[in-house]
Formats: sequence, C-alpha cells, structure tokens
Amino acid sequence: MKKLQRLMAVVLSAGLLLTACGGGAQTPAQGGGSQAAEAASGSAGGEAAPAQEGEIVINFPCIWVGTDSKAAYMAKLVEEFNAENAGSIRVEIEEQTDYQAYRDKIRTTITTGDAPDLCILDTTFDIRAYAESGKFMDLTPYLNDGWGADFTDGALDAWSVDGNTFILPFESAIFPLVYNKEILAEAGWDHFPATYDEFFEMAEDVKAAGYNVMGQMAGDNAWSSMLWYSLIVEAIGGKDVYANGLEDPAFVEAAEVLKRMYDYTFDGAVSATASDVNGHFIGRDTAVYLNGPWWIANLYKEDNAVDGELLADVCDVASNPTYAGGKGTSDGLVTTVQGFLAAAKQDDPAKEAAVVKFLQYISDPERVSEWALDSGAMFFIKYTPSPDTNDISKKFTELANNAGYTVLHVNGAFPTAFSTEFPAAVSALVLDQVDAQGFVDQLQTAIDNAQ
Amino acid sequence: MTKEANMTHPAVKVLLGVLKWILIVFFAVYTLFPLIWLVISSLKTNFEFLAGSPFALPAVPQWQNYVNALAVAGLGRMLLNSVFVGVVATLFNVIVASMSAYCISRFRFAGREKIFVLFTAGILVPLNALMVPYFVIINRLGLYNTYGGMILLYCAIGIPISTFLIRGLMDSIPMEVEEAAYIDGCGFFGRFFHVILPLSRTGIVTAATFEFLTCWNEFVFANLIISSEKLRTIQVGIRYFTNQFSTDYVSMYAAIVISIIPSILGYIFFQEQIISGMTSGAVKG
Amino acid sequence: MKLSRSDKGALVAFMLPAILMMLMFFVIPVIYVVAVSFMKWNGISAPAFNDIRNFALLFKDKAFTRSVINNVIWALVAGFIQVPLAMVMAILLSNKPKGWKFFRTVYFFPQVISGIALATLWRAIYSADNGLLNGLLRVIGLGDLARDWLGDIHTAFPSVLIYWVFYVGYYMVIMMADISTIDSSYYEAATIDGASRFQQAIYITIPLIKKTSLLTCVTLASVMGLRQFEQVYMLTNGQPANTTSTIVLYMYKKMQDANYGMASASAVILIIVGVAFIVTIRKIFEGREHD
Repeated sequence: MKKLQRLMAVVLSAGLLLTACGGGAQTPAQGGGSQAAEAASGSAGGEAAPAQEGEIVINFPCIWVGTDSKAAYMAKLVEEFNAENAGSIRVEIEEQTDYQAYRDKIRTTITTGDAPDLCILDTTFDIRAYAESGKFMDLTPYLNDGWGADFTDGALDAWSVDGNTFILPFESAIFPLVYNKEILAEAGWDHFPATYDEFFEMAEDVKAAGYNVMGQMAGDNAWSSMLWYSLIVEAIGGKDVYANGLEDPAFVEAAEVLKRMYDYTFDGAVSATASDVNGHFIGRDTAVYLNGPWWIANLYKEDNAVDGELLADVCDVASNPTYAGGKGTSDGLVTTVQGFLAAAKQDDPAKEAAVVKFLQYISDPERVSEWALDSGAMFFIKYTPSPDTNDISKKFTELANNAGYTVLHVNGAFPTAFSTEFPAAVSALVLDQVDAQGFVDQLQTAIDNAQ
Repeated sequence: MTKEANMTHPAVKVLLGVLKWILIVFFAVYTLFPLIWLVISSLKTNFEFLAGSPFALPAVPQWQNYVNALAVAGLGRMLLNSVFVGVVATLFNVIVASMSAYCISRFRFAGREKIFVLFTAGILVPLNALMVPYFVIINRLGLYNTYGGMILLYCAIGIPISTFLIRGLMDSIPMEVEEAAYIDGCGFFGRFFHVILPLSRTGIVTAATFEFLTCWNEFVFANLIISSEKLRTIQVGIRYFTNQFSTDYVSMYAAIVISIIPSILGYIFFQEQIISGMTSGAVKG
Repeated sequence: MKLSRSDKGALVAFMLPAILMMLMFFVIPVIYVVAVSFMKWNGISAPAFNDIRNFALLFKDKAFTRSVINNVIWALVAGFIQVPLAMVMAILLSNKPKGWKFFRTVYFFPQVISGIALATLWRAIYSADNGLLNGLLRVIGLGDLARDWLGDIHTAFPSVLIYWVFYVGYYMVIMMADISTIDSSYYEAATIDGASRFQQAIYITIPLIKKTSLLTCVTLASVMGLRQFEQVYMLTNGQPANTTSTIVLYMYKKMQDANYGMASASAVILIIVGVAFIVTIRKIFEGREHD
C-alpha cells in the first residue's frame, strides 16, 4: 500500500507539474493582448489591433454576445469604454455563444491557472470554492470605497467569503408565472389561482377546455421542471427551506406535486426540451409559462404575433401560489444569480486598477438602467427603471420590489451535481421508477458523490 | 461452388431483384431526408419552426436566414479556416501515420507489440477527459490561439486511428512484393515510397477521409484553444445563433446548410480521385 | 523484414514523429488521467489521495453500470449489425446497378451533416407530440404503438441506437473500394460455373474482404460505439432515468460537477473495456482464418 501511495505521489507530481507551472503571469490566455494577439496576427493576418506600448489589454471571454439580448448594449459599453481609455486600457471581448462550451472552457482555464482577466460565472460553478481559491481578485476594498452602495441590499453579503467579495453577483433573475389570459378565460377563470389547490382545480378546467396547463420537460437539462420544482419547494418549505439541505420534508412533498403536474402538460414531456416548452406557449396551446425575465422579449416579438396580436397582449403575470399547510407566503419570490462577474487575481496593480475601472463602468446605475431597458435583463444594481419599460417587465420588477423574502431556485441552492442529476431523477419519478422519497435520495446521492 | 446455382428459381431471382432496389431506395431516402428537412427548416420563421409541425413547409421561404448566417455570423472566414486547418492537419497526420504504420507493419523490432497496443489504446481515449492537459500543452508550447495549435492537436489526436487504418492495409500487402524490391537493391526509403506507399493508397485515403471529417466536425477543442474570431472554425460558427437561454434555430440551420455545401461539393468533386485512390492499389488474389 | 544497420536509423526516424505525438498527447495526458482517477479533486482546491474510492463509487452507481452496458451493446450493434448492413450495400452497389454513383454519394451525406441538426431532426421524428413516426403508425393503423419514443424507459435506448445504425455510408465506401480491387477473373470464372450474384458474394467477395476492410470497419465501428457521446448528449442527454447514458456522457457530466476524480476513473474504465473489446474482435477474425 505504501509503495502504491509513493508511486502515486511521483506520478501525480509529474502530471500536476504541467498544471502547477500554469500560475505564471506570462500565459497567453491571461496575457490576453500581448502574446496571444501577436501570435494570432502573425498567422491570421491581423488581429483587431496589436497591443500598443503601455496599453493594458483586458481579456474577457463573454457570453453576452451574438443573439443574447444583452449583446447589443454590451458591445456599446465596451466600445465606449475603449474609446474613453484609448491608449491606456483596451477590453478585448472573446465571443462565446454556446454556454456549455463556455463553462467547459472557463472551468478548464481556471483549473490550469490560466483564468482570463474577466469572466462570467453562473451557479453551476461552485462559487464558494472559487471565491476561496485565491485565484480571483479581492474586490472588497473597492466595494467598501463607495462602489458597494450601488448593489442591491444583501446581494454582496450573500456571496462573500468571510466578509470579502471575490466574485460579484451581477445579473439577477426572478421566476414569476406568466399566463395566457385568453386560455384561462375560456376555461372559466378570470383570475390566476392563489393556492396550489385552486391551481389544480384550474388545471382540470384548462385540460377540459382542450389546452395544456403548463410546459414540463425532463429532457436536456430539465430546466422548466427544475423551475417548477423550485416554486413548489418554496411554497411548501418557505424561506428557510434550504437550511437543512435536502433533509427538509418539503422536497419529498414537492416531488409529489411536480409529478402530478405531468398529468397536465403536453404529450411527450419526459423527452421534451426547452424549445418544446417555448414552442407550445408561443403556439398558444398552453396556459402557464415559467422562465426568467430574459424571455419577456419573446412575448413582444412580431414573429410570435398572431393576426397582429402580440403574445404579450394576452398575457399577464402572477406570483407563485401558496400551498395549504406550507410555510411559503404569497410575497415569497424564487430568484437566482444569473451571472457573476469574476476577475482573475492580477500581479500588476495598474492592470488590477484597469479591470476594476471597467467593472465599475459597466455596473454604473445609469448604464445598467439603459441596459435593462434594452435587454429585459435584471441586475443586482440599484437603478431607476426607464419609463419606457414594457408592462410585463414592469410587473416583474414590481414583484421583485415587493418581495417579502427571496429563495434561490434549486439550481443555485445546491451543488452542480444536483442539477446534473435532476433530469435523470425527474424522468425516473414521472415514469414510476422511483417514488418521491427515492427521487430526493437519488439527488442526495449525486451530491454526496461529488463531495 | 456448386451447380445448384443453375436451379435458382426465376421467381426467387425477381424477388431478390426487388429486394435489392427496396434496400437501395430505402437507404437513399433515409440519408437524403435529413438534408431536405434541414433545407426546408432553414427557410422557416422561428415561430413556424417552434410552434408549427416540424414537417410542414414554410409559408414564405425566409431567405433572410441565409443573409443572417453569412453576414452576421461571418461564416465565410470560418469555412476557409476549417478547410485550411483540416487539409493541413490531415496532410501531416497521414504522413506521420503512414511512416509509423510502415515500421509497425513491416519490421520486427523490440517493443513493436507494446507500441501497437499503445496506439490501439489511444483510439479509445475519451478526449473530453483531456481538456485540462491539452490546454496546458498547447498553452506551454505558445500555440494558444494559433492555427499551429489546432493543426498540431488535430494531427496528433488522429495518429492512433490513422496508424491503425493504414497498418491494416499494409499488413495485407504480401511480403514477397517488398522482398523482391529488397533483392533489387531498393533501400528502406525506396521501398516505402515506391512499393508500399502506392500499394496502401486505400488505407491512406480511408484514414485521410476520417481525419478530415474529424477536423471538420470538431468543436470542443476548437473553442477551447482559440479565442480570436479570425481563427475560428465552422463548428464554432454554427453555434453563433445559440445563447444562454435559447437558440435561433432557423438561422442556425441556414448556417449548417452553408457549412455542408462545401463539404458535399468537395466530396462530389474529389470523389473520383478518392475512390480511384482507394482502388488503384494491389489487386486481390 | 530484416533490418540493416542503416535501416535502424531510418526506422527510428520514421517512428519518431508518431512516438513523440503519442507521448505528448496520449501517454502523458493518460498518466495524468490515471493519477487523477485516484484523487478527490474539484479542479480548484488541492487534490487529495482517495484510494480506489472513485472506482468503488462508479460501480455502485447504477447510471454508470448502465452506461457500460449501453456502450457494449452499442459496440456490438455497430460491429455486427451496422457494418454487415454496410457490407450488403457495398456489395449491391459494387455490382454497379443503375445510378450507383449517385447512391454512393448520397449515402455518404450524413457524415458531413452536423450532429446538432441530425439530433433535432430525430427528436422531431420520435416526438410524441406531432412526430413523424407516430403519424406513420397511425396512418397504417398501428396507432396503439404510438408513444413518446425517447421518453419511454423501454424504447428510448433502442430508438437512439436504431436511427444511427442505418447511416452506413462511411463504412460502405471503405468496403466498396476494397471490393473493387478484387481480380475480376474470379467473378468471371464463377459466372461461367453458373454461380448467382448472391453466391459470388458469399464465396468470393466476403472471404476476400474479411481480413482487410471488413475487419477495419468492424473495429472502427465498435470503437465509435464505445466512444459514443455526441448523439446521445444531443438527443436525450442520457435520459429518461439514465437509460440512454454512455460512459463518455457520464464522464462529461462528472466533469461538469467538477468531480474530476470520478470523471477520470470512468475514462480509465472505458480504456480498459475498449482494449479488451478490440483484442476480442481481432481474435474472432483471426480465429476464423484457420477454417
């Protein structure tokens, strides 16, 4: 055994040697402009512009590009920032559109010690482990210097480590329900149910009227079902439902409710993906829709109008119903951090200052207000919403402002292993392979294995 | 061979003939269907695609999707990159693989078997597991975000399979052929270039096709080791219409159709060369 | 072949590039993977020695054992159904029926269509909602069989497997090339003897390609079956209830969980299973040779 262990130690040190020496500042991914851009311009016939003498280049692989709703304003921000700081700082965006591939790349570069100067993380990363790793810039002094006051109350504290902030919660999301008023009216409902008992009564009526009640999906990442599960968990378990992990009986009970919902969704929900769920709602054969604020723009798209009538015109917003005997109240709100901003630790104080300058630039409340208007996204920055905001977005903001308490969705509250296992667990639950307790056990095992 | 053949009933013959054509047509429909569906879907609106039947025709063909794909995503440059990287990597790959396959196939030397087992195991390594080491290697070599990095990586990851394919063919070339050349005074290189290489064209072309398709379809590492838009390949390009929350399917399909056209044209154009390359080797007997 | 002294130098020079690349891109990375497979590591904190616990956890996990079984089935189906189908088509087209060049080209098309497109198409075909397959079944009066093909515990894996079995173009082209090198005098003699096309295929063509292109294709297809990832990832993500999972998909998910220990351990298992599989296939083909 000893011998084996010694052998392992030798092999590992050799293997990890490769990784360990990745910490140097001269690595291309980190150097961003210098080496990488030169190499590229040499072979590709000209990068954007070679790094000038004394110019600090900030490398930022970014997903707010391409067809993302935040892309246009993000591009404008970067362009203006670069123009204002011409000759001294240049932010270089690396366009990343496929989120899963982006996560793989960021995870890999951080592991090898080549974290880019700036990147976006989400709750599928173990934010706490990342914050504690010492690989990221400590933003605390800058935040204490007044910048922190721009952030919504409690946002920074929720993700700080021993009172220090390494990773900034930036883009937020809330998950109210959007429903099709016409379908409800046809089923004889002039209001949205306030309790889950009432909800299932409505569900019967909607089903009888020939419509699907909501879209569930266990295919792909089971996103919609995971959101519904989060809402039910909040309604049953209240604001402290995550205090004891999956021990809380709310998780088992919520699983039973979720399973029941599969009787009221479209055919083939077990193998469905987000495009099925979205397709049914914009196809107007499904009554209730659940997703984050980024989806609001689709309600206003001409593409999705029928006979000139926008989808938004027949839709309204409702909060999560309450559950008989549950701890959740009607002003409880399920939320998450949709995007964290993380900056790599810098050895050069000038570069650190430049990175902070850019972060402060893009989190400026006035710019964020315009950004929110332009994209429909929500942020952890205190800003005055523009009066031009559309109705549905206004209702979302209202719910956020009036929330008595907020609870993370399950995706953000548990380690990544929970979310990775969720599609398997929910499909097993719906297909009677496990019962509600077995569903929770399966998720617990997945979490245990990853730790 | 028996004389029973003569007794094959004419009805059986007709039946077999019909069966043959059913098979041929079935496979043709089966393989053409995705392509036709893709083209039709790429001409729909997203509303039609998501909310309508997936097999309905578009009300009005949306040529705009193609304009989007070409103009917005910048596919032209990416196609050129894919062709360039694919061709160069394939070239290096088959050269290196034929040399090693020649040694493993024709000579007995110490460690030969071990090397072959190593190569075989290499075929099975799940490359996704190697993201961290590959990133470190490419980065340390100073090849991050370069054509060179992509070419080296693609060339290297195809070595086991190419060696395997080419060696398989070389093994079937009779020793006598080479021995005759040896007796004629033909040296190591002479035998390789003038005898073995021409006779193994089938294997080399098979390996080259496989390697090129691998390069053409590779996405994970193309995204991992490249950061500049100027160097990106087509697989990264067709994902331009995906974002964190949704996918603009119709534009993506237009992008995919655009990405397929050159490969299909290339295949049709080079088919004769490829096939004749495959067939001009030794005659079996 | 005997080696002269100067040949030895040439041999080393010929092997060197491949050996270097193998060392750099396979041997060293695989050593790293093996090392990590005995570690508990999240990719960011310091790794800790974890004995063989990762392997123990793998074999306790039903999703993993199911993945191994799926991969073995996949490799067998690929090698012993897909490739024989490809062989049948290769033989048929080698007889040069009308339009054979057209068919040869068409059969190859799916190789160049991006996996994303194929996956969305097949999702649409198998869909319970307005899928093509269910529609066809209803038309021919078998509506009772209609179901959510990819969401049914019994049909999901066969559905994933079957659609892919019929994409035989690549193997077919390899074998057609091989068949065309067969000396035509064999067939001429057989025809004079009165052998049918079918008999010619059985007694001439198949024996002559068995050890070359057929073996190559069987090995290649099995390897592709064992490494299967993209198709399942995009079509079902391994669901429902992990019934369509494969080893590489399982591994990829563990990497997403930043569970590098178990991810590496599953990669190690795949390599072991795979080498055993390939060695067995070669044995089967070489064994038959003595018949």
